Amino acid sequence: MTPKPEFYPNEQPEHPLTLKSMMGAKEGNFGSLFCAGCGYGIIGQLFTKVFDKEALDPLAYPLVLGIGCYTQMVTILHHGIQKIVALHGRAPAIATGLKLANPSLKPIVMTGDGDCLGIGTNHFVHLCRRNLDCLVILFNNGIYGMTGGQVAPTTPKGYKTGTTMGPAFENTIDGVQLALAAGASHVARITIAHPRTFMKYLKTGLKHEGTSVIEVITPCVTYFGKKNVDNGGNSLASGGAMLQWIRHSTTWRNQAALLDDDELAGKYVIGEFKLDGGKLEYSEQYDQIRKRAMKSGDDGTV
Amino acid sequence: MGNVAMAEGAMAAGLQFFAGYPITPSTEVLELLSHRLPETGGTFIQMEDEIASINAMIGASLAGAKVMTATSGPGTALMAETISMAACLEIPFVICDVQRNGPGTGFVTAPHHNDIMQCKYSGNGEYEVIAFAPMSCQELFDLTIEAFNMAEKFRCPTFILSDAYLGHLHEQVRIPPAKELEARVVERLPPDRETKRFFTFRDDAGAIHIPPPPRVGQDPFPAYLFSQPHGADGIPVEKDRALEFIERICHKVTDNVDSIAMTDEYLVDDADIIIIAYGLPARVSYDVVNKARSTGIAIGLIRLVTVWPFPYEKLKQLIAGKRVLILPEMNQGMIAGEIERVMDELSRIERIPSIGDIHHPDSIMKVVKEVARKS
Repeated sequence: MTPKPEFYPNEQPEHPLTLKSMMGAKEGNFGSLFCAGCGYGIIGQLFTKVFDKEALDPLAYPLVLGIGCYTQMVTILHHGIQKIVALHGRAPAIATGLKLANPSLKPIVMTGDGDCLGIGTNHFVHLCRRNLDCLVILFNNGIYGMTGGQVAPTTPKGYKTGTTMGPAFENTIDGVQLALAAGASHVARITIAHPRTFMKYLKTGLKHEGTSVIEVITPCVTYFGKKNVDNGGNSLASGGAMLQWIRHSTTWRNQAALLDDDELAGKYVIGEFKLDGGKLEYSEQYDQIRKRAMKSGDDGTV
Repeated sequence: MGNVAMAEGAMAAGLQFFAGYPITPSTEVLELLSHRLPETGGTFIQMEDEIASINAMIGASLAGAKVMTATSGPGTALMAETISMAACLEIPFVICDVQRNGPGTGFVTAPHHNDIMQCKYSGNGEYEVIAFAPMSCQELFDLTIEAFNMAEKFRCPTFILSDAYLGHLHEQVRIPPAKELEARVVERLPPDRETKRFFTFRDDAGAIHIPPPPRVGQDPFPAYLFSQPHGADGIPVEKDRALEFIERICHKVTDNVDSIAMTDEYLVDDADIIIIAYGLPARVSYDVVNKARSTGIAIGLIRLVTVWPFPYEKLKQLIAGKRVLILPEMNQGMIAGEIERVMDELSRIERIPSIGDIHHPDSIMKVVKEVARKS
């Protein structure tokens, strides 16, 4: 057995939320596992902050994570939340099982662009179609970060990756439009350069009854930034440069309405796209069916 | 119908959640349960594919429900990845594999016992499974209850290996009174509050213990559930303890093979020719043994009621000194390979493969007579 690392006994956590995190609560202090400039530390912190502020019951919000760099986020997320790491792309299906077996739960799915829009698109689309009461937070960094920077279905055209001969040329997939088409009842996109709005959407998503999809544009400095330059030829090899690039690549939804397709090419349109509180949620619908079936007393023998 | 008996067996065992995807020849299970489950307060969902089905199923199992899915060979292949994950996290579940002809799409309504190896070896990693091979509708009912009990007790992937003919076979089934059934069912226990041990562990004396699984929505729960080699508390361990972990999840089954594996020995003691069979061919073989005995041939039958875990030691003793082992299998001889591992040099194996159809008793009888003549 490896020896437990010794922490400095008098050291105080640098961040007040550290002690709310899983490893922080366990060890008294904990650092981030992410690369310099990565957005996942910010997302984990904002999530924990919102969850703590809203004083939600952690046992009612099980968290299902897909596979990607963000899986390491379990260490910095709220310590009370039950965390399940699914297989690559399968988190929405596990969340469906959790919710239907125990409708008092509201699963939170954390998934990446490769996880949700690559290998697990099918499950994501059908989760949205059912409008199952579930919050999906979709991290989009435009690259397969954990495996070392391969092209993702979301890699913007013209940027270099590890598995494209020259710049990426494939058309990209739009998670927000996909969720809208599939029938999710709350859909929003935001970037980590807009933390306050992200927290606002997160609060809405946690309280919304139905599928809520929040796509977050987040930087991968190590495998996207270091290989690429922005339109002006400036290096993207730092967290600051990537944040600037994200800010310049985004357009608010109301402004996007005034732009034509050429002007919108390569831009992330951010904002709240849909919030429909009246749409029937799947487990509620099934509960009605169950009540009717139990009343009918038909034993169903064939 | 076989598929109906299996579904009713699951209901009797306390099934609460079913997620599935239609596939011939298992679809009747889905159709029936879509009605039966909501009536009893359970949940049925038809998912977008088999991968989603098994993931929804293990999600529900983690939330404390007794779960099952029904599929065929191609569906089981899609589920392989998650079977392996669930074996790692020791999540109890039952898969009904109504086997059909393969490879590829095959003849979808023809039987072929081609998932004997798939159910054990399809997923990555090393783990053990429990697999039942019923041969009648009554057994489909009874063994399904037993499969649920085994899944709860041993927390490993549990299969019922039916096939296209058995699944569509119509015959009478006796469903015992509710009280009798209740006494047979093993219930899901809540997680251990005091020890906070969620996964199989060895005590100081080296004995294996299998605690109840963790439950989402309830304390206590592991810090996080991740399908990596882990300790009893669920925290992933270092590489140097990976072997210890694999041994635990395998030995919890193989050490208990005597209490899990079921065989039926019929006229074995004085026989020098033994038929070894499972599933539908076993049913035919009882008839063959009776007929052959009436003509004075010293023949017996070992029927494997469970295929996995394979009772190597028991079979070694049973077949020691027997001259000929006849294996009528509805494949090219998958279990014959396992028998070869335990038989002595003096015995020899006669395979009788049948694919896409069940053996006619005469085809087995012909081999029995030939073998008996040569003695």
